[in-house]
Amino acid sequence: MRRKASLVLLAFAVFFAALSPLLRYYAFPRLAKIPADQYQDMVLEAKGATLLDYGTMKARKVSKVTIVQTLRGNVEAAKKVEETAGRDVVVWDGLSYVQGPDGKMVSKIPERYIFDAHSQAPVHATGEMVDGDPVKRDGIEFKWPFLTQKRDYEYFDAQARTTSPIHYKGTQNFRGLKVYYFEQTIPWTRVTFPKAMPVKGITPESVAKTGTTRWYTTVRKFWVEPVTGAPVYGEEIHKEELRGGTLLGGRDKVTAFAGHVKMREDYIRHTVDLVKSNRTLVLLMTSYLPWGFLLLGALLLALSLWLEARSRRPADPEPAESSTPEPVTA
Amino acid sequence: MRALIAAATGLALALALVFTITALGSPTGRTSPKPLLTTVPSHP
Repeated sequence: MRRKASLVLLAFAVFFAALSPLLRYYAFPRLAKIPADQYQDMVLEAKGATLLDYGTMKARKVSKVTIVQTLRGNVEAAKKVEETAGRDVVVWDGLSYVQGPDGKMVSKIPERYIFDAHSQAPVHATGEMVDGDPVKRDGIEFKWPFLTQKRDYEYFDAQARTTSPIHYKGTQNFRGLKVYYFEQTIPWTRVTFPKAMPVKGITPESVAKTGTTRWYTTVRKFWVEPVTGAPVYGEEIHKEELRGGTLLGGRDKVTAFAGHVKMREDYIRHTVDLVKSNRTLVLLMTSYLPWGFLLLGALLLALSLWLEARSRRPADPEPAESSTPEPVTA
Repeated sequence: MRALIAAATGLALALALVFTITALGSPTGRTSPKPLLTTVPSHP
């Protein structure tokens, strides 16, 4: 190549063409991660739910049961785990607070969820717990990985403290977003009583003495935006029963809670807006910039070669900066 | 030869840029002082 301009264009062409795969396959996996300091809250409601009245020990229909779920990133705990884990982690301290129609607490379950900031795979470290009890999560919780695939994932159920598949059941459109719909069913499973009981003076230990046990089943539904892996909407058809023992006055079982839990409308709108903007950021790194740079590299290469071809045409005047003498033919 | 050097320069710059950006990473921030909620935020 003779013209300086052609060489400069060639350098830029290779620069942008190389940036394309480097951005997609090197930079993106290392830069795309859940921030360690995130704080988010969510309100869900179960209208027309059934709730146990602990005064009469009878189930009754109520206007609404409200669930407030908060997740707070614990940066200090994450740094501590990273010292031994050798990778970026996120520690989410969570609280699932259930409130009856009268504003009184029905249940209160804290959690600590530790996961890889890039892949969202669970990380096992001291402090991983549900309701103060150590647990070992073998599946994801709350958040799917970036670039979610159309396949089943292993999902951790905090009530049953077990991991089981959450099934991919199709692609849908949710308020202008393409989402993957996932569903998990937990069959009737015996579960522990929460440490915080809705009635003062009653503890899990005192209930255990009566022989009454707690059982639970749910159908968990998530609509997940696949680029970000963020659920934009969720529902649960949730039932709990007390069974056996002397607490039920001779009855085999009584419903403790039954309801179709859905996200509150203002939170749906907020989540959709947030996910839409995050989706654009992720697409920038995985699609728009990589393809854009590849195209730009190709154009610059074409321009470089065209300029060079022009400079070598016999009819064109010699470029002033060329110092290589032309070969003389006989 | 000059074309090779130009191409190698372009590649080296791309690698340097990407390695630098990924090495810098992003700031970790601080734990939020906001509490884990035990009251229901009101509907706007």
